Amino acid sequence: MTGWARIRRTLPHLSPFLLGLLIAYAFVFLMLYHMEPQPIVLRVGLFAGSNWGVPEGNSYAVIDQVIARFEAEHPNVKVVYQSGIRRDDYSEWLAGRELAGEMPDVFLIPQDDFDLYADRKALAPLDDLARRDTAFSLDDFYPAPLAFARSMSSGTLYALPVECVPRLMFVNRTLIDREGIALPTDDWTWDDFLAICQKITRDTDGDGRLDQFGVYGYTWQDAVVTSGAKLFRDDGRASCFADSRIEGAIRFTIALHQTQNGQVVTERDFDLGHVAFRPFNFAVYHTYQPYPWRIKKSMDLEWDCIRLPRGPHGENISPVQTLLMGMNAKTRQRQLAWEFLKAVCYDRDNQEQLLQNSAALPVRRGIIEDASTDELFGSTGKQRDSRSPLAVSQVIEEGSVPYRFPGYQAAMMLADRKIQELIDSNALESNTMNRLQKEVNALLLK
Amino acid sequence: MNHMNLNRARQLARALDARELRWMHDCLTIYNGMVVTLAAAFMSITQLKVIQTYNARAFLEQLAAIPLPPLTGFLLTVTSFLILAGLGWLYREGNVPPTMRYICLSLEIVACVVIIRSLNLAYDGVVLLVVADLLHRYSGRHQLILLTVAMLGLYAIVDYNIVSLEYHIAPFNAYAAYYAAGPRAWILTLHNAFVSLNLILFVFYLTLLIRQNHQEKQRIASLNAQLEEANTRLRAYAIEAEAMAETRERNRLAREIHDTLGHALTGIAAGLDATSFLVDIAPDKAKEQLSKIKETALRGLKDVRRSVRKLRPDDLEQLPLHQAIEHMIDDFSASTGMKIDFEILQWPERLRPDQEEVLYRIVQEGMTNARRHGHAHHLTITIGTRRGIIYLLLADDGQGADIRKLQKGFGLRHMQERLALLHGKLRYWSDRGFTLEAIMPENEEASKFL
Repeated sequence: MTGWARIRRTLPHLSPFLLGLLIAYAFVFLMLYHMEPQPIVLRVGLFAGSNWGVPEGNSYAVIDQVIARFEAEHPNVKVVYQSGIRRDDYSEWLAGRELAGEMPDVFLIPQDDFDLYADRKALAPLDDLARRDTAFSLDDFYPAPLAFARSMSSGTLYALPVECVPRLMFVNRTLIDREGIALPTDDWTWDDFLAICQKITRDTDGDGRLDQFGVYGYTWQDAVVTSGAKLFRDDGRASCFADSRIEGAIRFTIALHQTQNGQVVTERDFDLGHVAFRPFNFAVYHTYQPYPWRIKKSMDLEWDCIRLPRGPHGENISPVQTLLMGMNAKTRQRQLAWEFLKAVCYDRDNQEQLLQNSAALPVRRGIIEDASTDELFGSTGKQRDSRSPLAVSQVIEEGSVPYRFPGYQAAMMLADRKIQELIDSNALESNTMNRLQKEVNALLLK
Repeated sequence: MNHMNLNRARQLARALDARELRWMHDCLTIYNGMVVTLAAAFMSITQLKVIQTYNARAFLEQLAAIPLPPLTGFLLTVTSFLILAGLGWLYREGNVPPTMRYICLSLEIVACVVIIRSLNLAYDGVVLLVVADLLHRYSGRHQLILLTVAMLGLYAIVDYNIVSLEYHIAPFNAYAAYYAAGPRAWILTLHNAFVSLNLILFVFYLTLLIRQNHQEKQRIASLNAQLEEANTRLRAYAIEAEAMAETRERNRLAREIHDTLGHALTGIAAGLDATSFLVDIAPDKAKEQLSKIKETALRGLKDVRRSVRKLRPDDLEQLPLHQAIEHMIDDFSASTGMKIDFEILQWPERLRPDQEEVLYRIVQEGMTNARRHGHAHHLTITIGTRRGIIYLLLADDGQGADIRKLQKGFGLRHMQERLALLHGKLRYWSDRGFTLEAIMPENEEASKFL
């Protein structure tokens, strides 16, 4: 009785601290009681379809294999992804997930969204993870795709490259063989290119209209890349359009344009086999070369791909485009997400899968070289082994990194419009490029 | 009566002020709670709408940082605000030790920052709520420091707002930009109105607070004046009372002298008159008469002694001299902190009450002088008797005094006079401190040796 009374007396005087402790204790107790072994879920953000604008049979073929393998290696882990998001909707879908706080742990990063997420600290920096992981080395990646995974402003590694495609020159071998021209070698120059185009461009059926052309789709940017000059300063705050080598590239593009005599070359001309050259990314070549697409797209023509021609001061290099995959900065499964990222981007077996199931190329060194020609270029039926896997690997190795900074799109749109006018009107004067540079710089500094 | 009414009115006014202030603070808290909840809800709902209408990509581009997920953001904001309000209440009203109060305030600031961050800096009026809390109890020792830090924090937040304005659209505007022009204008107006109204409420609260503090100060000043007045009056009363006591004592003494000494002396005078006649006529009778006169004189003396005894200090009245002195020394050293040694070489026996009193008074006066004039920390009192002479020595370690320039204060002269009455002497010198020596004979015979 007295004990009960004492308890009742002390009860109102219980210190809030003790009360808090009791509640915390009860909370922990209940939590422990209700805890059940649940598989760890790792969410992955993917899109359906190819990143490179080519049709793809089974978008999830590669990732499904990676996941199956990853789940086998990590028994209590379940990797999930939402399927059916189209490439065009992916950016919006991802932003929506981010805004709703349901960002996947690991996700593909559309090229235009890299800065958006990196600048807002939504991507986990990977430098430390990469350095600490002894079973991993950044040196195993080709330099251009890896450089693309770094923030241009801070140099921090925010993603890993998944796959890449170099831009190559497609050659209609059927046409140039017919014209009695030898397939250009990988170190060919603008002059060689121009000479071939001039030779090929002509009217074959005598109706007074040109119906056979040298090139379709070769832009002034392709010329600039191979001119040896840089368009922008690395920090993206200034452009270098007034560089004499860039002016040279523009002059070359104009000269190339002049060969067509003012006539517009269409994609149809190319598909029908009336055009000798067309720069394309490798994914296109890979896709349209083998059986079903080949019939659909181009008639029974024989295609080859070589490097882009180089300018007097430049080299035969190709811009390499890269698809990146990053890690959510707020992921609860940091190490696991890193492991998965590694499985997709770094694991040799998984990267090899790209050769068969993707139009793009692996980013890890030493895979392309080991591939067979059929694997790499697709089976053509007709074998004329001018292309070697080693050469493709070399192209990626030496590839240039595309620019990516906040004002890039706007600056390029302006420059493209102005230069296209120049090309169409052949109005390049001594100070034209200076004026253009000023205009672009003003835009960049805005 | 008038005073009491006035005091009651003042108390009522103070209570009213306090209630007004509390009411105003509650108002401020509730208002901020509503605005914060509204802002959080608006942002969460907008975020959901943005996702549903596929505007997420464009929306994200306008923001400097990724906002919290809708529901999480809303719950975090509301919870933080409830915590803030609770802490504020604890800080203002709670009966907690100062350290806990400071912790409360720090946590309040943390909660405030969480709210502002989770609202994407859309509404920072809660800072004013924290500042109001800070000002409310402004007796704290570190108040100035805390205030400075809080103000700096406020500045940093405002500055951060400006920075984010420079690089991106202000986050709230990005949220508002989702809506059509009409509703957007309405939302922005409402947002500004909410911010302004909060400022107005805060200024109003501040005015009340300042007014209350001002009135409090005035009240204290008026109380001080009253106290001063009462003190003066009390002092006057004390002087009056002293004077009255003195008069009464004088009257009593006069009466006593008249009753005892007067009576005896009258008797003696009359007896002596008679004796002068008788001495020639009847010498035997005269002798008899003389012995009677002696008796009268002795009785008178006895009465005088009895009267004098009544004037003696209480201690001396109740205790033997030895204990009375010790008692006095203990009291004095306890009250002043001075270290006093009391040494007895040989205690004089058979002291008369007047001798006892003189000794007692000299010790008392000597101690007071050592403390007051010498600022001494240590005093040695020695008492002894040798060949019928009583010695009393007081030696201190104080500043001493220049003997030539020493003006005999009332104390020293008084001592000397008292001693002279008993055929004693007072000597004093200053070497290491001040030394006072009083000597007096034990009885009539001993006075010859002096």
